Amino acid sequence: MANTSGSTYGLTILSPIIEDSRLDVCHSMELRWYLSQLPRDYRGPFAQLSSTYLARLAVMDDVVFVGHPAHEEHLRSRYLVFEANFDGDLDTYLRRMATETKEFVEAVWQHCVGFPGTNDIGAFIVYMKRCQLETTFFFADVNDQTVESTLAALKAQAALTHFLDRHEGQPAAEVQRAFREFYAKLRKSPGLRRGGDESRDIRQEHIPHE
Amino acid sequence: MTNINGKAYAMNAITPMKPWKTPILRLFFFILGLIKPLQKDLKGLSFIHFARWVVIPRKRFPHLGGSQPRENLRYDYLLFFSNFNGTWNQYIDAFSAVLYQGLDAIWRWSEKYPGSRPVTGFKQYIALVQFDTDYYYNVYPHAATNDVKAALRVNQALTAFAQRSESLSPQEFEGAWLAFRATVAPDLGATGVAPEGD
Amino acid sequence: MSELNGTQVDVSDIQGFALKGYNFPFARYLLVELGEAAAARAWLKELLKVVTTGERWDINRKPMSTVNLAFTHRGLVQLDLPLASLLSFPLEFQQGMMARRGILGDDGKNGPEHWDAVWHSGRVHAWLGVNARESEALTQRCAEMQQMLERTGGGKVVEAQDAQAIRLKDKFSSQEHFGYTDGFGNPVFKGAELNSVPGQGKLNDRGGWDSLATGEFLLGYADEAGELPPAPIPHLLGRNGTFMVYRKLHQNVATFRQYLEKTGARYPGGKEKLAAKFVGRWRDGTPVALSPDRPDPGIVADNQRNTNFVYGSDPGGLKCPLGAHIRRVNPRDAFGFKGGLINRRRILRRGLPYGQFVPEGQPVSDADDRGIVFMALNASIFRQFEFMQQQWIEYGNDSHQGNDKDPLLGNHSGHDRFVIQGTGEPQNPPFICGGLPNFVELRGGEYFFMPSLTAIAMIATGNVDPR
Repeated sequence: MANTSGSTYGLTILSPIIEDSRLDVCHSMELRWYLSQLPRDYRGPFAQLSSTYLARLAVMDDVVFVGHPAHEEHLRSRYLVFEANFDGDLDTYLRRMATETKEFVEAVWQHCVGFPGTNDIGAFIVYMKRCQLETTFFFADVNDQTVESTLAALKAQAALTHFLDRHEGQPAAEVQRAFREFYAKLRKSPGLRRGGDESRDIRQEHIPHE
Repeated sequence: MTNINGKAYAMNAITPMKPWKTPILRLFFFILGLIKPLQKDLKGLSFIHFARWVVIPRKRFPHLGGSQPRENLRYDYLLFFSNFNGTWNQYIDAFSAVLYQGLDAIWRWSEKYPGSRPVTGFKQYIALVQFDTDYYYNVYPHAATNDVKAALRVNQALTAFAQRSESLSPQEFEGAWLAFRATVAPDLGATGVAPEGD
Repeated sequence: MSELNGTQVDVSDIQGFALKGYNFPFARYLLVELGEAAAARAWLKELLKVVTTGERWDINRKPMSTVNLAFTHRGLVQLDLPLASLLSFPLEFQQGMMARRGILGDDGKNGPEHWDAVWHSGRVHAWLGVNARESEALTQRCAEMQQMLERTGGGKVVEAQDAQAIRLKDKFSSQEHFGYTDGFGNPVFKGAELNSVPGQGKLNDRGGWDSLATGEFLLGYADEAGELPPAPIPHLLGRNGTFMVYRKLHQNVATFRQYLEKTGARYPGGKEKLAAKFVGRWRDGTPVALSPDRPDPGIVADNQRNTNFVYGSDPGGLKCPLGAHIRRVNPRDAFGFKGGLINRRRILRRGLPYGQFVPEGQPVSDADDRGIVFMALNASIFRQFEFMQQQWIEYGNDSHQGNDKDPLLGNHSGHDRFVIQGTGEPQNPPFICGGLPNFVELRGGEYFFMPSLTAIAMIATGNVDPR
């Protein structure tokens, strides 16, 4: 199945955007405007769609004229590109989109031709599949994990490195006790937040030094 | 910079292909999918989270009816989406330097493709056919794919060690602790903010 | 002309500083503010007669001193080059090093607010590098330079930076202030292969070393990507020229010695081994990859061995840590692909220590003015030096060390670590060096263009025609 690699699904959707010359602000512009202010981190819709690794939305205005002797041609519509990489199967993901990120889905796809809304989940899934493109070749560097297991691993690695640093050179008996405590705490601690936190993502060096 | 989220860059590119060339490209991808060693180099570069190529035959742009006019195109189109780590230049430099045969095998069927070497013309072509991402989400912005793989290795070793160490005496623990630390030592780099893009 | 494998390199047109390390123990780098264009050009006409070229010196005819010249973009503007030429220079060179601090990671303790005042003055137009075999010769040559500037009204010296090889036991050494023997590992390129040793070039298919393409270090020649590197127009302005990065790196010798003492006491391998793990060479220069357990003067003295090693047999970093300095800045075969990801990231290093050397055991302070004047030559500052600095020194993803920085040169945040990989053996355990302080601090610098003699003549006669 060209759309999958291991347990990861690669979704590519091309949704034609409504062209309406009567509008003061066209749909593609509204859409771009909406996307520009949508949070990209833990506050955004894809953090909610928790099985998502990486996802993008792009307004594709037209194809490119690469130069003579190629011929110049143009698309008659603009298209919204939606590319997503997630765990699990497509139907589940689409269903979750319609139910858990309803507002976002409607705000975006209302600008697209034939969007039936999210109230009828079945119709929504049919619509999205009509816009789906078959992936010809999909590459995934890691394809045997879940978002959950990956975030857990990242957390464990950071915590362990910190622990090793603090206990470097200590006698083994002390470390054994400390390690037991550390590991128990690690198992119980909440997972890493999906999507990070853009408001805090300043480079270490920009934090004032003492 | 909307193409970037944390350590990942979202590149989109679209190139035109004469329709008679499309089946050749499909054949190449088919073979690539079957012969795992061909993908070895891609994995070896270790800076792509996910990448995909999508062929859109000229008559198969989604058409939802209503007021949407049908497309009337002479070319098929090859879409390319990549989620990679590093800067734009770094990424293209790396491909041009070490994966140029694979790149050429994929893009030689696209019109006006100049080849991936020398790199300057190649970069100009990509800049021409690339279009920007408007919104990009990354579940782990602090982690490159190297960080992810390192973390998976460390977590696996940690879980195994934690289980084993439950039943060890202090003397046994000492040796096991040293061995465990030696195992994970290559994979302890910190995660964090990416270097500035260019 | 010097011809090897079809590459002819015009040694009489290329400045000597770009083609060879002079190995003279004394240097003074004069930063010059140019006068108005006509006078500056008159100065250049005179200077042209004495600029040292890359021609070979006969055994007994080595000059007592050398003179070389480079310009900042501001300097080229001051010289009234045509606008189209000025704009054809690479973007990073036009911007200047201070404006590139985001990419270079020059913030915090390395930020411009800590730099010497001259770099904020906007007056640095040119660099005159004077190298000399004796102190007397240096003074004399610099006096001549001063006179020439005054006589022509071509400019004035706004800052003079002295540098000098460190004397050990009454002989000039190649040691720097932290005690490491420096000067290994400069790349060798086609057309400039005299005195090359195995390990300096790029890996070939037979496990040996070839010279790198000339165009990685000199404009106007084919580079490793199979093209002429992007260069300023007209062609003759760039040809046989190169770009130079100049950085004054202050060294916190007290901090370094304290850290080594304190952490070395806890590190089972001991202090000297710890120092070796930081860099990838023992302080005497022995490559850790060849001799992980002890320094080996025999290897150091043997040019066939002291630079001739790879990391392929040590993927786990057990001999040379994955994040050690030399492994970061010249990964050799560590990235696979037969070195293909490395060959376009090499830089040609020049430079000398500055400030008074204090032997180990004697009191020393971080506040003292000492360090190294670091210069890097490359055809593309962006692709070579800046890349190495941003991706390999201030970041660690390519060496699989995440965000960890170069332990010695990194601009650390206070919590940064250096991880030493190891085995179960008592003398070579895994070990984490935490809380790394900044051992090195940037005190200023700039990007320069080092033109060929032809190009200097073009500029001097006002004959730069950008089509």
